[in-house]
Amino acid sequence: MSSHESTHPDAPVVYEQFEDIGQQQETYVLGMWSFLVNETMFFAPLFFVYGLYTWKHHADFYLAHALLDWRIGGINTFILLMSSFAVALSVHYAQKGRTRAQLNCLWFTIACAAAFIWIKLQFEWIPKISHGVFPNPEFIQNYPHYAMEHGVPAADPYKARLYYSLYFAITGLHALHVAIGIIVFLALIYLIKKKSSLITDYIPTEMVGLYWHFVDLVWIFLYPLFYLMPRP
Amino acid sequence: MATTHHEHHDDHGHDHAHHVIPISLLMKVFGGLIIGMALTVYAAIFGPKMPVQFMWLIAMLIAYAKAFLVVQYFMGVKYTTKLVKAFAYGGFFWATLLLIMLTDYGTRQWEPVPGWTPGEESALSRDLEIDRVPEDVQIHH
Repeated sequence: MSSHESTHPDAPVVYEQFEDIGQQQETYVLGMWSFLVNETMFFAPLFFVYGLYTWKHHADFYLAHALLDWRIGGINTFILLMSSFAVALSVHYAQKGRTRAQLNCLWFTIACAAAFIWIKLQFEWIPKISHGVFPNPEFIQNYPHYAMEHGVPAADPYKARLYYSLYFAITGLHALHVAIGIIVFLALIYLIKKKSSLITDYIPTEMVGLYWHFVDLVWIFLYPLFYLMPRP
Repeated sequence: MATTHHEHHDDHGHDHAHHVIPISLLMKVFGGLIIGMALTVYAAIFGPKMPVQFMWLIAMLIAYAKAFLVVQYFMGVKYTTKLVKAFAYGGFFWATLLLIMLTDYGTRQWEPVPGWTPGEESALSRDLEIDRVPEDVQIHH
């Protein structure tokens, strides 16, 4: 393995297996995209299952979805779009060598990610979990009362249980990705501030950015699917 | 032995110029995404009542348009090599191909699942207290 030692501290290292920096960077990007395609394969079957059961039980899923607030989902969508924009800006500043602006954008992205998770927990998951409206043996008992409390007609509880199983599984997996994103962004900021030899150009920021845009992409589809279901 | 970008550039005299996307373009893309989100909400909540399949189609078309903007500009696929483009679009296209499986589910009867709903013929007992719908609750059918 080649060393990261370099006579130019700010210059990216070209490893011996690559012809030039362009080929090396393309390899990084391609590797990241391979990972993202794997991630797509990870999420796609879940979308498929959700689409299938929505098709089959649309009327009940529509009633079950009434307990989700489209405004809360909309705020979270806006937050994630802003964070994606901030990441794109941070890559722009990294390419221009403006480290301070780059770091500010990364911190802003972390704040957005934390806000996303906080809103999801505070307004969606915790109220539902505290009333037993999550996949658990008492769901059939708890859900109709919870729906009545909110002035919403209750769906068939068995179908509603299926809906909320999918809801918690898919949005939970997405939230896990958001949380991992926060950790990765913090690690990136740490390495940039430490002037680590791992960070010699904009590529690490771009790689982390690609991951974050993917998290945003997943939410772009989740929002209309879960929160904006059309009336059957 | 590893060389630096500058050293290599000096040795061989060619370089890979990375594309810096201007902030003005990034802002336009962000604006497009916000408009897309507003359109999605309008169509679903405030828009005229349309057939449900058409509503789904509109929602998914807008979502795909937003995803296209993110992939092209924020993820910079528009400015990458053909190989990266093949991976990026191939992956998302592959995910869409999963929908073909829906044709199978849509054209055949589903196998009954024992224990799925009460009242249906089932090999599993439905006498569990936890699986009984409370009697004081009106279920919408």
